[in-house]
Amino acid sequence: MAADRRGLGWLLASLALQNLGRRRARSFLLIAAVAVASGVVFTGATLMRSIDRSMEIGFTRMGADMMVAPEGALTNITAALLTVEPTDLVLDADLFAKAGIASVRRAAPQKIARVEHSGIGSHHESADLIGFDPALDFTIRPWLVEKLNRDLQPGDVILGAGRDAPLGSQLLIFGKPHIVYGRLGRTGVGTHERGVFMTFQTFDGLAAAMGGHAGHGGNGSLAVLQPGKVSGFLVELAPGAPPLQARFAILSSLKGIKVVTGDTTMSGIRQGLAALLDGILALTVLMFASMALMVSVLFSAIVTERRAELGLLKSIGARRSQIVGMMVIEAVIATGVGGALGVVLGFLAMRLYERSLVYYLENMGVPFAWLATPQVVAFALGAIALSSIIGALGALTPAWRASRRDPYDLVRGES
Amino acid sequence: MLTCIGLRKDYVTERGAVAAVAGIDLEVAAGRFAAIIGRSGSGKSSLMAMIGGLSRPSAGQVTVDGTDIWGLSENDLAAFRNRRIGYVFQFASLLPTLRLVDNVALPALLGRSRDGTDAYGRAAELLAQMGLGDHLDAYPSEVSAGEQRRAVIARALINDPAMILADEPTSDLDEQTEIEIMDELLAVNRERGTTLVLVTHNLALAEQAEQIVHIAGGGIVA
Ligand SMILES: Nc1ncnc2c1ncn2[C@@H]1O[C@H](COP(=O)(O)OP(=O)(O)OP(=O)(O)O)[C@@H](O)[C@H]1O
Ligand SMILES: [Mg+2]
Repeated sequence: MAADRRGLGWLLASLALQNLGRRRARSFLLIAAVAVASGVVFTGATLMRSIDRSMEIGFTRMGADMMVAPEGALTNITAALLTVEPTDLVLDADLFAKAGIASVRRAAPQKIARVEHSGIGSHHESADLIGFDPALDFTIRPWLVEKLNRDLQPGDVILGAGRDAPLGSQLLIFGKPHIVYGRLGRTGVGTHERGVFMTFQTFDGLAAAMGGHAGHGGNGSLAVLQPGKVSGFLVELAPGAPPLQARFAILSSLKGIKVVTGDTTMSGIRQGLAALLDGILALTVLMFASMALMVSVLFSAIVTERRAELGLLKSIGARRSQIVGMMVIEAVIATGVGGALGVVLGFLAMRLYERSLVYYLENMGVPFAWLATPQVVAFALGAIALSSIIGALGALTPAWRASRRDPYDLVRGES
Repeated sequence: MLTCIGLRKDYVTERGAVAAVAGIDLEVAAGRFAAIIGRSGSGKSSLMAMIGGLSRPSAGQVTVDGTDIWGLSENDLAAFRNRRIGYVFQFASLLPTLRLVDNVALPALLGRSRDGTDAYGRAAELLAQMGLGDHLDAYPSEVSAGEQRRAVIARALINDPAMILADEPTSDLDEQTEIEIMDELLAVNRERGTTLVLVTHNLALAEQAEQIVHIAGGGIVA
């Protein structure tokens, strides 16, 4: 008489499982539907938060509102105003300090030189050396994604995302040793990706060597190398200052300059993204609403079908809570499995489309960063929990209604 | 002691109300063997279900050992079904996806009247007593109809009920098996003093009862 013993919970759970197994096709459909909903919710939430966060970073990294360059300089409109453009023409470094324009909150001067034979990268490659004033810079350092665990020092350089020298390693520029202090994230602008960034002090230290190798400036004397001269300014407007008026104020108080405004399509893109996020949210809510409906309809049918079994259990003394509990367990198993499956599928889908998604977003000027793992795990658990809860709620009403009927009616299968 | 007073069961159908049980007064002393006889449709099963706490009467009272069972709370009524009554249905009533031993142990587990070890030990004992010692692990579909009915009787006995309600427990079995199963039930009645209320069409069987209740058209005929 060595029948192995089983606990009540096990028996009730096995009744639930057997029922799921008895109707394979229906169970499969239920699980698949829940998986789709849970997958949409999981990927939706993860993407939404990732994009949201990326956009937050994007705002701080958006760069300047305007760029002030020497009149006559060639300028390229890029997605983000982070650096000035290489040019032969220069402006006075103290231009803004002297003018004191109210609508300008700050103006960060930069020097930029496109040089060849610097020893950076391959032999004939030209490189942009960009000098900035660490006290005034607000466009470059927000992009730092990795850096040494100390402050920026003279002799340090920061590399664009497209250059790969290890942090802390030595980089020879025109034979002079420099330390790789940090690396910028992908900005989506080619010249930034290949740029070498440094403080004015470091930049000036290279002036003598650069003089002979400048790609611009023809016969070797580069205007930007002169002390007190800069290639241009990146301007952040005072909060609330209307861009048009600010632009006019700058143009009227400063001579020999031109003002380049940031890419106005950026704001359009951001608005578009916000609409997309709203769409995802609406879709998610709809998904779950329809899933809840479907689960409750399905479980009404399941309860009806199992009436005889429930009646029998009740006849031999099962309490209502045990009857309801058994049905809810069944629902939770099915929807929980569906929820987990959806998370796995959603995760795979995101991995699969990661490249194109990141490329797409970064093309629009939104640097994309995935959420931290704990948050993704939290979303995954949330989607599974939500699925299970909806399963439980869907089964609760029909189970509760059936459980209050007389066992004899249930056993006889009366409606 | 079982007492029914003015017991009624009306079913509401599309063609109006059907009085399946139309006012029955009945008394069965503790430990007795009572047989209920009557034609098909006379209301026997409806009466049994009301006595066993399975079907709420439209009117009247069922009292078991002084307790008005239909006045109990949901949970107390569940405990009553679980502890005091062993019900044997007119039809196959084992859970098909559980083994015989699980089926028999289930009432003890549901009512927590015994711990797991004890419940399974007792279930195995009862099944062995019913000649099913070799079929503990079998599923209901793997044994014969007679063996299934024996397993149901074992299930009815696991919580040592005060009363066994058997609704035509042998109607679909051959004569020899019927006799064997009836012997089991009568042995329980005699040896344990368990009250036995039996619905049967078999008059020879009813003759053995200490009390015969003849029902026709929902009422008792003398
Ligand atoms: N749920 C129900 N709804 C409507 N009428 C019912 C219901 N249950 C039973 N009846 C009717 O009540 C009457 C008594 O039924 P019951 O099952 O109690 O008879 P019975 O004596 O057990 O019959 P049998 O010997 O065939 O089992 C019958 O006329 C039956 O049709
Ligand atoms: Mg009947």
